[in-house]
Amino acid sequence: MAELTQQNKWAPLQASDADREKIWSKSRTFAGDVWFRFRHKPTAIAGFVIIAVLILFSILGPLFTPYDYAVQNLEMVNIPPIMKVYVGPSGEYLYITQSLRIITVGKDGKVGSQLTRVREETDKSMTIFESNGKEVALYYGGSPYVVADESTGNIYPTKTLWNTSYLLGTDALGRDILTRLMYGTRISLVVAFVAALVNMIIGILYGGVSGYVGGMVDTVMMRIVDIISTIPLTLYVILIMQVMGDGIQSIIVALGSVYWVDMARVVRGQVLSLKQQEFVLAAKTIGSSPKTILLQHLIPNAMGSILVTLTMLIPSAIFMEAFLGYLGIGLQPPLASLGTMCNDASANLRTSPHELFIPALMICAIMFAFNFVGDGLRDALDPKLKK
Amino acid sequence: MVKFILKRLGMMLIAMFMIILFTFIIMHAVPGGPFTNTKGVPEEVIAAMEEKFGLDQPYYVQFFSYLKGILHGDFGPSYKYTGQTVNEFISSGAPVSARLGGVTVIFVLIAAIPMGIWAALKNGKWQDMLLMALATIGVTIPSFVIASLLIYAFSYKLNWLPTYGLDSWQSYILPVVALGGYSISYLARLMRSSLLEVMGQDYIRTARAKGLTEFAVVTRHALRNALIPVITVLGPTIAGLLTGSFVVEKIFAIPGLGYYFVNSVSQRDYTTIMGVTIFYAAFLMAMVLLVDVFYCMIDPRIKFES
Repeated sequence: MAELTQQNKWAPLQASDADREKIWSKSRTFAGDVWFRFRHKPTAIAGFVIIAVLILFSILGPLFTPYDYAVQNLEMVNIPPIMKVYVGPSGEYLYITQSLRIITVGKDGKVGSQLTRVREETDKSMTIFESNGKEVALYYGGSPYVVADESTGNIYPTKTLWNTSYLLGTDALGRDILTRLMYGTRISLVVAFVAALVNMIIGILYGGVSGYVGGMVDTVMMRIVDIISTIPLTLYVILIMQVMGDGIQSIIVALGSVYWVDMARVVRGQVLSLKQQEFVLAAKTIGSSPKTILLQHLIPNAMGSILVTLTMLIPSAIFMEAFLGYLGIGLQPPLASLGTMCNDASANLRTSPHELFIPALMICAIMFAFNFVGDGLRDALDPKLKK
Repeated sequence: MVKFILKRLGMMLIAMFMIILFTFIIMHAVPGGPFTNTKGVPEEVIAAMEEKFGLDQPYYVQFFSYLKGILHGDFGPSYKYTGQTVNEFISSGAPVSARLGGVTVIFVLIAAIPMGIWAALKNGKWQDMLLMALATIGVTIPSFVIASLLIYAFSYKLNWLPTYGLDSWQSYILPVVALGGYSISYLARLMRSSLLEVMGQDYIRTARAKGLTEFAVVTRHALRNALIPVITVLGPTIAGLLTGSFVVEKIFAIPGLGYYFVNSVSQRDYTTIMGVTIFYAAFLMAMVLLVDVFYCMIDPRIKFES
């Protein structure tokens, strides 16, 4: 106690001017700040990683697959990823296709070729095939169909195998689902990104001009936006698709020309508040043109809200694209998007559920990933918005 | 109040006019006329058919006669089904959609609002986490995926429920869940965040301080204000549900408005596409207006001028 009282705690410490001005911690840039907040959200990082993996999958995947997305193989129709095979008389694996043919399957799960049909035994409900010089019978009188010995009627033992030739099976036209999934993901992502980008550009220009010019122009432009937002836009996307015909460009134009209204509102709001600030006055004083002020000063400052709106636009574009594809509007076959893959598979839902659920799972994964990244980015860019 | 409604009605009329004009332009921009693909018919017959439907007139004459028809509630004949009118499609499709939609609206309200309230009251606990995880799944999964999953599980595997039509009470279950899934999740999330915000207000503390039970605080004080944002989005939601969903009606083969729309799109039956679009848009806008008026009536803080 005595020591403490002796020290005058109110006496100023020694400090030079240089020390006083020194910033001890490293200053963070805006981007660094955003990244700092973003990476502390595990869901956002997970979403980010999923998107990166999916982009790689859709771009590089086709290099590693031996199949083409368009080539049909009608011998290998509707084969599931996990096959139930019968062990034939000489130990070979036999798989019954939905068109009542038998395919040989290797021990490693590789799909071989169709067996040759010997004869039909209609009275016994059997088709006789030749396998390794011996005869096997496909009995189709009951459900499920079985492979049996013709004379004794003994059903061969069964085994469950992973399909290693077609990892995710084949569709109703014998095309490899994994390959089509890669192309489908690619098309869905391209449509979503480009459509969102087109929306962003239209929205920024429209909202920027409306907010910056102000007055009567602003009132008229915003009334138009109000009217557009009362129109059910899904119908318009479908109508525009009718005029433009099928194809990727049409989808992008249809989605891109319709969903910019929110973006325009956000940008206008930002520009309205930003244009009152001193830096705009300074820019005007040095004689910058309105175009320079808008594009170089106002828009970059509004980028935070623009990015947040953009990350919400991408999943809704994916949603719309899948929706259109599912209704059979959009792409010309054999091109596939995730929505058209689901549409093609919906007829075979009962017998081959994998054909629908695999692309559906992919759509859900993409939607989750973008929603997580969007939420994370919103919190990171604008902590004030966080609830 | 009257001024506000009149102003909104005026906006609505302008929007309706633009919708009709836009739909008309789009449908006439489609390459080829409705009779282009009619094979084996002489030129004169096609010309006579075009004359009958007024297609030989200049576009503006066609537009105004179409507009006149709509004002009289007449959407014209179907191009693809001879002898059928678009009005017949709408009057047979709309009640079916409305029946399915009505049941879905009730289901959504019964499910979403208690879900949101419960999640907000259990804020941060596992019940909240579970409900909000479910709600996140609900808003991210497209309705056709939900519908396919339900059909596969309950119709094909378990064989409990029918896969198509709207004939018995069982046949309502799957379409209602598939149609309402998104709205339930969305409204539950909204309800939760809105109630959480209200629960942090000063007047809630006052209500607690004067010794009210938690139940009274929530139901009498918090809920009234917390429901306002929910009511705002209820308008478009109800309108969307009542007019049916294209996808759900297609999957379950329910002959509602959406089913006719999808059908007419794939058949390129242009008058039906136009008629259904305009009907749908008008219904949606009327519904939104109705909810806005209701909204202003229950919340005195909202000024009618804004």
